[in-house]
Amino acid sequence: MKKIAVYLIPLALFLGLIIFLYQGLFSNPREHQSSLLEQPMPEFVLPDLMNIEKTYTQDVFLGEVTLLNVWGVWCITCAIELPYLKQLQGEGKHIVGLYFDQDMDPDFGIKTVARVQQEVTDKLNQLGNPYAFNIFDVKRDLSLDLGVTGAPETYLIDQQGKIRLHHIGDMNARVWSGKFAPVYDELIAQ
Amino acid sequence: MNRFRSMLIIFFFGLVTTQISATEDKFQFDSTEKNALFLELTKELRCPKCQNQNIADSDAMIAVDLKRKVYELLQQDYDKEQVIVFMKKRYGDFVYYQPPVNPMTIWLWLLPVLFIFIALGGIVISRKRQAPEISQEQLDKAQAILEREQ
Repeated sequence: MKKIAVYLIPLALFLGLIIFLYQGLFSNPREHQSSLLEQPMPEFVLPDLMNIEKTYTQDVFLGEVTLLNVWGVWCITCAIELPYLKQLQGEGKHIVGLYFDQDMDPDFGIKTVARVQQEVTDKLNQLGNPYAFNIFDVKRDLSLDLGVTGAPETYLIDQQGKIRLHHIGDMNARVWSGKFAPVYDELIAQ
Repeated sequence: MNRFRSMLIIFFFGLVTTQISATEDKFQFDSTEKNALFLELTKELRCPKCQNQNIADSDAMIAVDLKRKVYELLQQDYDKEQVIVFMKKRYGDFVYYQPPVNPMTIWLWLLPVLFIFIALGGIVISRKRQAPEISQEQLDKAQAILEREQ
């Protein structure tokens, strides 16, 4: 009897290892907890993309549940998620864009604002415009404060201007129903 | 002699170029300590986009932005710890290569030690068990053989 127990130890260790490695197959290394959850939006003063004279601050998110979508015309996945965002907007969701440009190097500034605006207008005319407005993150400072790693990323912000969800990657029906819908519906019900 | 001199020249220029490429020209510091700290930090901070590179190695936009931020913070006289806290607040523990010790990560250090102790214990036990039992009779016999040899 004791002998069998001794032989079972390596078997148990082996099974443990198998389970550990097996679940590793399905984990997403890009998914890590955002450290900004339940935190208020970082402070910022940034212009409207289409009307540079107009500026927004973090207070623009107060009083309404908002989806903040980080995007750019240069981002291919963003173009793929635009139609779905348009659909969400059609269902009455308030979507705000946080736009940043890849070629706007703060140290050099290659592109003019007019050209960026033209590119954005073209893209939105082609694929539909889900955004109530776009905040232009000129030097990508707000992106950095939000812990953005790239585009697209989407944040759910509650009526008090607090960040409730952070999703890295595209928004689609699966992400919406699995991750966003429960929290969103709860916030709307309040 | 001529050959030796050209080698010296090549060696000298080699030194100069490594000195220059050590810091990107974009980030100029007024003190060498800050410069050294910048190089140290950009090596230890992890790029959130391209996960197996530090921000010094990576050319991703986010890595360039983070490098610039580190530069700005150092210019504002942040020390090393403050810069790391700043980054962790935005990108989580993930952004720094040294993981914090907490109930979850403590196993990274404990498991190898535990493994060594368990393995040692196993070896000791199996040794003890296998030790052949030598009777007094056998010892006497061995002693007799030894004496005979002498």
